[in-house]
Amino acid sequence: MSAIEVINLQREFQTTIGVFNRKKKIVPAVKGISFEIAGGELFGLLGPNGAGKTTSVKMLTTLLIPTGGTAKILGLDIVNDAEAVRPRIGFIFGGERGLYWRLNATDNLRYFASLYYLDPAVSKKRIPYLLEMVGLTDRADEKVEGYSRGMRQRLHIARALLHDPEVLFLDEPTMGLDPVGARELRQTVRNLQDEKKTILLTTHYMFEADALCQRVAVINKGEIVAMDTPSKLKDSVNDLSVVEIEVFGIPPETVEKIKTLSMVENVSVEDRDQLQLLLVHTSKGAEAIPLLISELNGLKLGKVTTREPTLEDAYVRLVGGE
Amino acid sequence: MIMEKLKLNIKIFFEGAYLSYVGLFRWLSPSTYLATLIFSPLTQMLFFVLIGTYAQGTDKAYFYVIGNALMNAAMSGIYGVTMSIGGDRWDGTLPYLFGAPANRMTVFLGRAFMHILNGMIGVLTGLLWGWLLFHIDYSAANPWALLLTILVTTFSTSGLGLLMGCIGLITRNVMFVNNTVYFVLLVFSGANLDLATLPSWMRIVSNYLPLTRGIASARLIIAGHSLTEVLPLLIEEFGIGLFFALLGYSLFRWFEITAKKRGTLEVF
Repeated sequence: MSAIEVINLQREFQTTIGVFNRKKKIVPAVKGISFEIAGGELFGLLGPNGAGKTTSVKMLTTLLIPTGGTAKILGLDIVNDAEAVRPRIGFIFGGERGLYWRLNATDNLRYFASLYYLDPAVSKKRIPYLLEMVGLTDRADEKVEGYSRGMRQRLHIARALLHDPEVLFLDEPTMGLDPVGARELRQTVRNLQDEKKTILLTTHYMFEADALCQRVAVINKGEIVAMDTPSKLKDSVNDLSVVEIEVFGIPPETVEKIKTLSMVENVSVEDRDQLQLLLVHTSKGAEAIPLLISELNGLKLGKVTTREPTLEDAYVRLVGGE
Repeated sequence: MIMEKLKLNIKIFFEGAYLSYVGLFRWLSPSTYLATLIFSPLTQMLFFVLIGTYAQGTDKAYFYVIGNALMNAAMSGIYGVTMSIGGDRWDGTLPYLFGAPANRMTVFLGRAFMHILNGMIGVLTGLLWGWLLFHIDYSAANPWALLLTILVTTFSTSGLGLLMGCIGLITRNVMFVNNTVYFVLLVFSGANLDLATLPSWMRIVSNYLPLTRGIASARLIIAGHSLTEVLPLLIEEFGIGLFFALLGYSLFRWFEITAKKRGTLEVF
């Protein structure tokens, strides 16, 4: 039996437009996604902002009722058996909110332990253990309002693990963390995997998914557009090379012109302080460099390199450059 | 099994009551607490007692002192409980609360518990100010009957506070609504106006509000009446508080179910 089974899950939202002449508008956020996650698997759900990742997690954690399809957690239906699902799952959403800032870490955990009917004798041992696990023992008696974003996020992890759930949903847990905080949190996730927890992780950091997940699904505009292991997804872009050109002050019209070249599949620009990094996905590899440089004629250039595609490049191809 | 579940629910109630009070009650710093629960009611009492005694004579001071002391129950019951319920929305803890298996009634009622104690302290402080500043004589009062009256009145105003707290889950401007409700109680509960002198429609409104019977009961007890004589008033006061608390709980459940259906859990 799969730990998580999702069949044609859908969710629409109704919004209204206008003040006096109000019109209803139906916005589909998740358009029938299906996947299964085996027990003990760490599964990644990748997608750009607004792709439907958080909406999917909210449905699977019983916080949002689907408008279509079904999903089961450990064989329990997320709508009909919601009360039985809740004690068996833990979840965190990215961001700083969701903790009582006026309470210290221990009291936050005490309160949430009681919400999960944790036996007082158990919580007395479990709370110090979890605080140690997430590295907050030394600051456990301080109010959460004085914590850094990373510390709050780690406290969220401890909160989600209080009742030792079999299934964990981590929705963009490293969002907004500094590199050190993010690395520590990823190590915590790896440790959870060692404990054979079933984990659904949503992220838009490709290297994170590549480093942690056994399988990933790419979701775009509410639909799953690919699902496989990170290495197989990377294989799907083996025909591509990525040319990276450092350029100073590239105008948008030049980028648009490069996009129209027949050998170019995708172009993106990343800002790097005073320069921009032009990333060109092409099937021609190094052969494309002279033509690209001629298009950049007149601009000051830095390093020019080619590299093998990464999971991020596979992702860019799948979501159409978004 | 049932006993264990009951024991855990009692634990959730008291732990939740204490921790949610500390975690969500924004007046909980010594200076704000003193200003809101002691000095603000003092200035209100001075205002109404001085105007009242100027108009009706100093022998009526007890009327205003008792009325305004009991209004402290409304201050704590309405504003405090609203913060403890609505605070979950402001702190972004609602998804974690509604994603937990805890009994909702236990969580909900636990939020009012500490404010009932707070309200009782506020009322007793008000009565103390009355004794110190206006020499009100409480010697004829049965202290236990007076304590019971204060407890029932703070419970009933907290019942209304639970309802207001749930309104706080669905609106941004709950403090505006709270202020209106507080002043409605100030006018209609008989704290400062003799209900017998009010127009009939206002007396009808008074009958459906918490505090009205609590204030009447406190005045009777301090005047020397027995608990038996005021018991019907206290039972009605308790019933009104229970009605508002249950209405609030129904709204709380409705909010949870509707938010999960519409996806509005974190939307104001």
